[in-house]
Amino acid sequence: MKEKILQLIKDFEQRKATVSTKEEVEALRLDFIGKKGLITLLMQDFRNVPAEEKREIGMLINEAKQNVESSVAELKEKIEEEELNKKLESEPRIDCTLPVKTGTGALSPRTILQKQIVDMFVSMGFTIEDGNEIETEYNNFDAVNVPASHPARDMQDTFWLDNGEVLKTQTSAAQNRILRTHGPKCRVLFPGRCFRNESLDATHENTFFQIEGVVVDENVSVANLIYFMKEMLKGVFKKDVNVRLRPGFFPFTEPSFELDATCPLCAGKGCGACSHTGWMELCPCGMIHPNVLREAGIDPDKYNGFAFGLGFDRLVMIKTGLDDIRHLNGGNVKLLKQYGTKI
Amino acid sequence: MKISINWIKEFVDLDGIEPDELVKRFNLSTAEIEGVEYKGKDTYKVVFGKILEVKNHPESQKLHILKVDVKSEVLQIVCGAPNVREGMVTCVATVGGAVQGHKIGQAKLAGVESNGMCCSAFELGIGADDEGIMDITEDVPLGEDIKTYLPVDDVILEIDNKTLTNRPDLWGHYGLAREFAVIFDRQLKPLETVDLAKFDGLKKLHIKNNAKNCYRYGAISVDNVTVKKSPMWMAVRLYYAGMRDINLLADITNYIMLELGQPMHAFDHNVVEGIEVIEAKEGDKLLTLEGEEHEIPEGSVVIADNNLVPVAIAGIKGGLKASIADATTNVLFESATFDAVSVRKTSRGIGLVTDASQRYEKSLDPELVPVALGRILEVLKNIDKNIVVSSAFTDEYTKKYDKSVITITEDFIASRIGERVPKDRIVSLLKALGFAVETKGEEIIATVPSYRATKDVSMKEDLVEEIARMYGYDNITPKPLAFEPVPTPLNKAIREEYEVKKMLASKFDAVEIHSYIWNYQDFNDAHYIKTEPVVRLQDSSNAGQSGIRSELVPTMLKVVSENRNMLSDIRVFEVGRVAPRLDENNLVDEEKRLAVVFASQTQTKEELFEQMKKFIVDYAKQDLAIDITLKQGDKPNFMHPYNTFRITSREGDYGYVGVVHPKTATAIDKRLNIVAMEINFGMLSSKEGYFKKAKVPSKFQSVDLDVSILAPISMTYGELEQVLNKYRSKIMSGYEYVGTYTSEALGDKKSVTISYELSGKDHTLEGKEIDEFLNGLIAHLVKNKLEIRK
Repeated sequence: MKEKILQLIKDFEQRKATVSTKEEVEALRLDFIGKKGLITLLMQDFRNVPAEEKREIGMLINEAKQNVESSVAELKEKIEEEELNKKLESEPRIDCTLPVKTGTGALSPRTILQKQIVDMFVSMGFTIEDGNEIETEYNNFDAVNVPASHPARDMQDTFWLDNGEVLKTQTSAAQNRILRTHGPKCRVLFPGRCFRNESLDATHENTFFQIEGVVVDENVSVANLIYFMKEMLKGVFKKDVNVRLRPGFFPFTEPSFELDATCPLCAGKGCGACSHTGWMELCPCGMIHPNVLREAGIDPDKYNGFAFGLGFDRLVMIKTGLDDIRHLNGGNVKLLKQYGTKI
Repeated sequence: MKISINWIKEFVDLDGIEPDELVKRFNLSTAEIEGVEYKGKDTYKVVFGKILEVKNHPESQKLHILKVDVKSEVLQIVCGAPNVREGMVTCVATVGGAVQGHKIGQAKLAGVESNGMCCSAFELGIGADDEGIMDITEDVPLGEDIKTYLPVDDVILEIDNKTLTNRPDLWGHYGLAREFAVIFDRQLKPLETVDLAKFDGLKKLHIKNNAKNCYRYGAISVDNVTVKKSPMWMAVRLYYAGMRDINLLADITNYIMLELGQPMHAFDHNVVEGIEVIEAKEGDKLLTLEGEEHEIPEGSVVIADNNLVPVAIAGIKGGLKASIADATTNVLFESATFDAVSVRKTSRGIGLVTDASQRYEKSLDPELVPVALGRILEVLKNIDKNIVVSSAFTDEYTKKYDKSVITITEDFIASRIGERVPKDRIVSLLKALGFAVETKGEEIIATVPSYRATKDVSMKEDLVEEIARMYGYDNITPKPLAFEPVPTPLNKAIREEYEVKKMLASKFDAVEIHSYIWNYQDFNDAHYIKTEPVVRLQDSSNAGQSGIRSELVPTMLKVVSENRNMLSDIRVFEVGRVAPRLDENNLVDEEKRLAVVFASQTQTKEELFEQMKKFIVDYAKQDLAIDITLKQGDKPNFMHPYNTFRITSREGDYGYVGVVHPKTATAIDKRLNIVAMEINFGMLSSKEGYFKKAKVPSKFQSVDLDVSILAPISMTYGELEQVLNKYRSKIMSGYEYVGTYTSEALGDKKSVTISYELSGKDHTLEGKEIDEFLNGLIAHLVKNKLEIRK
């Protein structure tokens, strides 16, 4: 009996190695542990085994049966896996290199850059305000210390409207209203579109965007302004920039400055964009003129502050590499489509 | 404005300072220098020579063969200038030399050897005359390098006029020299002038000032002027400064203007005996030296002769009548101050901006009037020894500026600059700038010099600037602002603007546009667009674009039109401002609008409309919790009369959405289907979002029950919805529109499928509950003359 069992196990191992289909596995199972299988038959003979061998033979048979069962299951699984793999292999495949249709909408590069700047100023505790494009003569000129006789009114060729208002020539036109609303301690940033009646070329538009900011508090100094401007430009250009102040002249501020920054294109080495000076004039600024504060109901002996205007379209040109500002004001959809939607 | 460093150096010693350093420090402390020109750099080995002989060239009609004496030798030079003559002294560029970079070598001209070149002033870069070689009448040493005799070598700085708007004192070399002196801590030399008091014993001139805008009129007369032509050095200076020489008397007034910033005028004293300063009457005219006749605006200040005939427009231009002629020997010099605004108005009125008017517009210092006269006599007598001053200094000084005294302290300056400048340094800087300074305890009391007091310096902040710029902005250490943590969320209206833009661009494939603020009348007319601006530009050069837009869609349609041959699908939007109406004070009541236009050759109007409706309904609902309802109502003429709808909610009416009128759309491009919308975005986005009351869904499985309802074709979904909304049931958690079906079999009916979501609050629904719901619904529909499609 024992020899028979051992022989059966040997036979099984031999047969097992030859099996390669589901049907053959089933035949193998039937041959060994089916109703008429060899092991099944042996088990039927078990009662004829002498009592003293029963224990040993019983264990042997059971082991052999279990071995066959688990081997058959294993084989089945393996063959199923192989068959599935074969099937998957022959299935149609996805061409992952086929292009997908991406969105075709886009934001203006102005909106994208403006949002970055706005976010930065919000993080610095600034309130963001919106201003009108059509302003009264008072707001555009008188309230910001540009009286009727002032030559500055010639400096800016103004679009006058037939009702006596103007298309605002500078974002400062919103200063009076903003200072009145926010009171003497404030930090406000106000982007806006401005208009000047001038002839157009690649860098001059009659319609352009500025971003202006004001800070009013007690004891604000020129040193504060320089610090602030430096930090701000660092944020805008995402790198350390050197700044320098030069005297400038604007009626809204006293003293007034032109702020130059290291040319962001050549890092100060000198290039066409900065007329080979290494500096780029970026930001007129100054300490707010006492008359402007007074006109907004703020006591200039107690409070002072600074204001700055970013030539925003210039920044957009630098960031986008566009060489003609007029592209941004037309409806050149094919061009504008390319700027994406990230803000 | 062009500035000569040679000229500056007459008044301040700048030895040892390189031009680059001059430019840099001037830029940082005073005003912007836009350019630097190094004159004479590429011109050398040019000497004075005398033409001994002129012979015709055998091969050429134009050329002559000259023998020129340059002291060390006699050169043979072939010259093409028409004005050569024997005995003439001229400038000769010798072999091995150069003229403005052009190297001079031995050459053969038409076969004849030439050893050098005779030069015109233009060729040498020292004058405008290019008609012939220089014809020198001055007594010059032959063979001498012209650079030892003439200021050919110079550095010319081009200063940005705009940055000098508030600095009348910097419109002349002497004032600029004062700045350089302070910047480099050097001494400013006093101006050499003739003392006018010397002539007090002479007879006064007839001068009358009857114009309130003439602040001061000073004059003096000089006889026996015999020199007619300006010396060469003066001609070079004038040329380098951007002017050209005419005759001595005219030139010398320009010279003083460039030196002191005070415009002057020279009248022929034989023509003009005395001066009456008057205001122009209507119809007054002046014929200028250039032969142009100008009508003088009424009320402008006019310089007239004794007979009240205008001889000059004050501060702007002199007339032909009393101008300096070759025969003039007796001259009346004017030095006057006029009101800045008045000069500006007149100058703009007649469209004539001159060197004089530019200076007067800056508010000149009346104290300069006698200084300029004293200086012109000084310069003139050095050129023409024979002159005789023939009158006393005659001075009508009718309007004086108040003396301006400003008191500051070291602490005040420290707090405003953010850097402590010691008191002594403050005092010395102010003194160098011309302020009279006294100290009293902590106080620094500064009297503003007259040349800064006309409008430039009047308050403490002005002194902050003076001290800071001279102390050096680059010497100020940046200091952070004190920070107070105050919550500053991004302004709601602005945040919404970014969000709606982002949604349109990323979900609806639209491209953001910035279009101009004016209407395009021609485009509108050609495309049957009627839009009436409420406000227009004054004096627009382009009448067709003078109206300010009162709505956005027309400019967006123009964009579509411009792109129609580039793209078959054009989807654009703009958040922009319009002037829709005037308020009771006649001011524009501006609105921030959002306009969207979808135009397509491939999609139908219905598809485009559905997308646009989805955008506005979705945005309003999801972002702002506003339920939008579309209704019939007003629409612009360029929109479809029936398929355009008002966009409304319980809060109000925001604008419209619909199909563009086929007439307009076809005019743009007959291939395009176009839908458009425009809303008052400021109004829509001002609504504060809030958390809606949300229902907690039942834990028990819900049942979807689709019901098809037969309704008349003419019934809108909105009307059907009203009926459906009146049927209520405890187990209904909501319903959704699935679709509409029409067919011939249905006749004048349509089948509208609705999907009801049914669920029990605390149990799984049983069949009979659903039956009850359905039966109730059928009964409700029947009551409303509707039925279920079996």
